[in-house]
Amino acid sequence: MPVIQVQNLKKYYKVHQKEPGLSGSIRSLFSRKYYDAKAVDGVSFDIGEGELVGFIGPNGAGKTTTLKVLSGLLYPTSGTVSVLGFTPWDRKPEFQKQFSLVMGQKNQLWWDLPAMESFILNKEIYEVPDAQFKQTLDELVELLEVKDFLKVQVRKLSLGQRMKMELIAALIHSPRILFLDEPTIGLDVVMQKKMRDFIKEYNQRFNSTIILTSHYMDDVKELCERVIIIDKGRLLFDGALAEIIKKFANHKLLTAVFSEEVNREDLEKIGQVKEFDYPRAVISVKRTVASQAAAQLLQNFPVADLNIEEPQIEDIIREVFTGKDLA
Amino acid sequence: MRKYRLIFSLAFQNEFIYRLNFVLWRFRNVLRVLLAFFLWSVVFTGRDTAFGYTRPQMLGYVLFVLVIQTLVMSAPSNDNVGGEIANGDLSNYLLKPVSYLKFWFTRDLASKLLNILFSVGEIVLLWLLLRPEIYLSFHPVSLLLGLLLWISGVLIYFFLTKIAVFAAFWTPENTWGFMFVILVFMEVLSGAIFPLDVLPGWVQSALQFTPFPYLIYYPIGIFVDRFSHAHALRLLAQSLIWLGISIWLSLRVWRAGLKNYSATGR
Repeated sequence: MPVIQVQNLKKYYKVHQKEPGLSGSIRSLFSRKYYDAKAVDGVSFDIGEGELVGFIGPNGAGKTTTLKVLSGLLYPTSGTVSVLGFTPWDRKPEFQKQFSLVMGQKNQLWWDLPAMESFILNKEIYEVPDAQFKQTLDELVELLEVKDFLKVQVRKLSLGQRMKMELIAALIHSPRILFLDEPTIGLDVVMQKKMRDFIKEYNQRFNSTIILTSHYMDDVKELCERVIIIDKGRLLFDGALAEIIKKFANHKLLTAVFSEEVNREDLEKIGQVKEFDYPRAVISVKRTVASQAAAQLLQNFPVADLNIEEPQIEDIIREVFTGKDLA
Repeated sequence: MRKYRLIFSLAFQNEFIYRLNFVLWRFRNVLRVLLAFFLWSVVFTGRDTAFGYTRPQMLGYVLFVLVIQTLVMSAPSNDNVGGEIANGDLSNYLLKPVSYLKFWFTRDLASKLLNILFSVGEIVLLWLLLRPEIYLSFHPVSLLLGLLLWISGVLIYFFLTKIAVFAAFWTPENTWGFMFVILVFMEVLSGAIFPLDVLPGWVQSALQFTPFPYLIYYPIGIFVDRFSHAHALRLLAQSLIWLGISIWLSLRVWRAGLKNYSATGR
């Protein structure tokens, strides 16, 4: 039984177009041209309890809009959504007590007060019993190592410390479902790693369902077994990370090291030469003929070393987004 | 209920963080009363009455405004709600089992309490300084009716101004200018600058059919016994009708706004 069901979700925004310049501004006072921006355009997926799913896509793909619909901030244009059996935009308290949305670039903590005050406020808002609050807080504070900063004004915290506090505030009611929108944005690599470890640990320890969006492939590669790729509001892929390679990469990479000088033109006959920097060359060939191409290479060229590799996931995804031919 | 009690306490603490800001804000209010005070003193030079008011009555009115207006119009929600809608911070509240309107009303209450504490002190100070004669009704019925009208005014003001700030759902760029115009109009038309019966008769009659006099002018009028009890009771009933209308209208605009809300900022 999936905890999140999304069927044919569409969200169109009416956007008004303004001609550049002052005259455009004045004209737009009287007559405005609108067009429909299709932020999400017919997306369907199911997510089961305890899954950790990565949402990837370029800027403006519709990731955040989808998360906002799932958490009840936006009314969809059409389609049905069920999260834990609730319709999110009804915003029922029983539903709101079971999920959390963390946006890497938004803060919910009271800026002028220590984070602890916001935690206590969330405890009351979510009606968390005293004992549970204390236990959850102690656990989170220990996991995130922020014991010393609880009583410091939020405005005085560093970005990393603040992000951890934001997480605690979002988790204090032990949500069953967690939406993380760019949780590692703006953090340094060490902090990113810590955040990832925490998310993984949290998912495993509490069997919570997590959807994560990120620009950093490392986040997704390390955390998510399943990824959903959307672009221009449409679902491009939904499945295991490893499946992306099978589905989209219809080519393999042959990396050869030569013992003698070879001609680039001759190599082009084997496949598309991606890199050529003597003595090393990378050639992209169709998957189906990869072994033949390798054999040809070995026969006709002075090869010292040869490697047949799958392309990098980053490369595949970049190519999917830019709509390039993947051969 | 407990959550709103805590919000109240946090908001109270929050007000203290910008101490200098607060002190200056109160200073502005005192300055305004002094200004009005001296202005009317000039008007009353060489005459006993003006616009049907004696000097002590008018000065009494001016001092009263300080307290009544403080309670009615101290509303940090007016400065913040529009911005929170425009920049998407509203999302933080929509995600949680908490009512946004109750949240901000609670914060307003905290600000009102703090301001009222100060304004009482200021009144005492001003009174010691200026020694005007002030008339206050000690009739329990007047006091009760005045108090009820006052509370109703506080609520009307909250909901009316929310209708104006909810414009941010549709035009996030120009909330503040819109709000500013409305606030200035409200201040004048509610009687916060001068009692409304100094205005020409036709303006007064027209104002009767607006909610504005119910914010300040009528409550003070009852406290200083300018209206009979029967009249005061009728005013209270009308005030409650205005309260009903403004609640209904603001909730409608709120719901329509949420449909239009795009949780921007990202």
